[in-house]
Amino acid sequence: MTPYMAVALTSLVAYFIAVKRLGWRPSDLGRALGRMAESLGAGVIFAVVNVLAAAGLVLGLRTLTDRFFSLYSLDDLVWLAVSMLQGWAWGLWRDSKDRRTATGPGAGATVS
Amino acid sequence: MPSSIIVRALGLATLALFFLAAFTPLPVFLYEMITVPVHIERADAIVVLAGGGVMLSGQLTDSSLRRTVRGIALYRDGLAPLLVLSGAEGRTSESAARSVLAGKCGVPDTAILASSAGHTTHEEIAALQPLLKARGVRRLILVTDGAHMRRAMGLVRDAGFEVLAAPVSEVETPTRPEPRLRLLRAALREGLALVYYHIAGYL
Repeated sequence: MTPYMAVALTSLVAYFIAVKRLGWRPSDLGRALGRMAESLGAGVIFAVVNVLAAAGLVLGLRTLTDRFFSLYSLDDLVWLAVSMLQGWAWGLWRDSKDRRTATGPGAGATVS
Repeated sequence: MPSSIIVRALGLATLALFFLAAFTPLPVFLYEMITVPVHIERADAIVVLAGGGVMLSGQLTDSSLRRTVRGIALYRDGLAPLLVLSGAEGRTSESAARSVLAGKCGVPDTAILASSAGHTTHEEIAALQPLLKARGVRRLILVTDGAHMRRAMGLVRDAGFEVLAAPVSEVETPTRPEPRLRLLRAALREGLALVYYHIAGYL
C-alpha cells in the first residue's frame, strides 16, 4: 500500500500548495473533478466505439480476404490509453468552446 | 446539458469500478464465475489446447508452456495413454515445439499426437475432432487456461466428447491492485469471447 499512501500524501501537499500559495479556490476543485469525470466518461465512450469498430474491421477482413485476422489483436491496453486521450482532447475542445461562448458572441473573431 | 451529465455519470461509474477492481476482491469473484473447477479422472486422452504459439526466440510463450507442462504432468501421472498437443502454425510450429518438450520430459513419441490446425478455439477443436475420433477417444482431459476452460469445454462437448477439466491458473489469487486489474481484464475478455461465441452460434 506504500505507493498509494504516497499518492494520498502528494495530493494533500498539492492541495495545500494550490490553496495557500497559488490562491486557488477549494470550491473550484469539485468542478475540476467533475470535468475530469466527464473526460473519463468521454474516453470510455471512445473506447467502446473503438473496440466495436476494430472488431467489425477484423471480422470484415476475415470474411473478405483469405488471411486470418485475430480478435486477440484487440487485447492491447494501448488502445484504451489512446481512447482516454481522445476523451480528454474532446473535453478540452468543449471547454474552449464554452469559454469562447462565455466571453460573448463573436469573441476572437476579426471584423473587417 | 443532459448529455454531459450522462457522460459525467459514466466517468464516475468507471472510476468506481476501477477502485472496486483494484482494491477489493471483485475481480476474483468475477473470474471465479467464468472458471470451471478441476475435475480429473482417468480418460482416453489429454488434450492441451494452443496457447499463443512460439516466440521469435523459438521458446513457447508463457501460456503455452504452462499448459504443456500441465499436460505432460498429467500424462506422467498415468491419467491417459495419449497426449494431444495442439498448436498454431507460425515461423515455428507450436505443436512441434511442444512435442519436443514432451519428448525431453519422457513422453514416448508413440503417445504424442501433434495437431497444427485452426486459428481460433472453434477451428482448433473442429480440426481435433476427426483425429480424436479416429483414435477412439471418447473421454478426454482438457488442458487450457482457467478463464478459457468454460468456452473450450462447451465446444469439446458439442464435438461429441465427454470432457474433464484440468485448468491452468493464469495468476495466483491476487492481493495487489495491478494483478487484480489483470484478472478483471482476463474475466472481461473471456466474457466477451463467450458472448461472441454464442452470437456466432459456436456454442
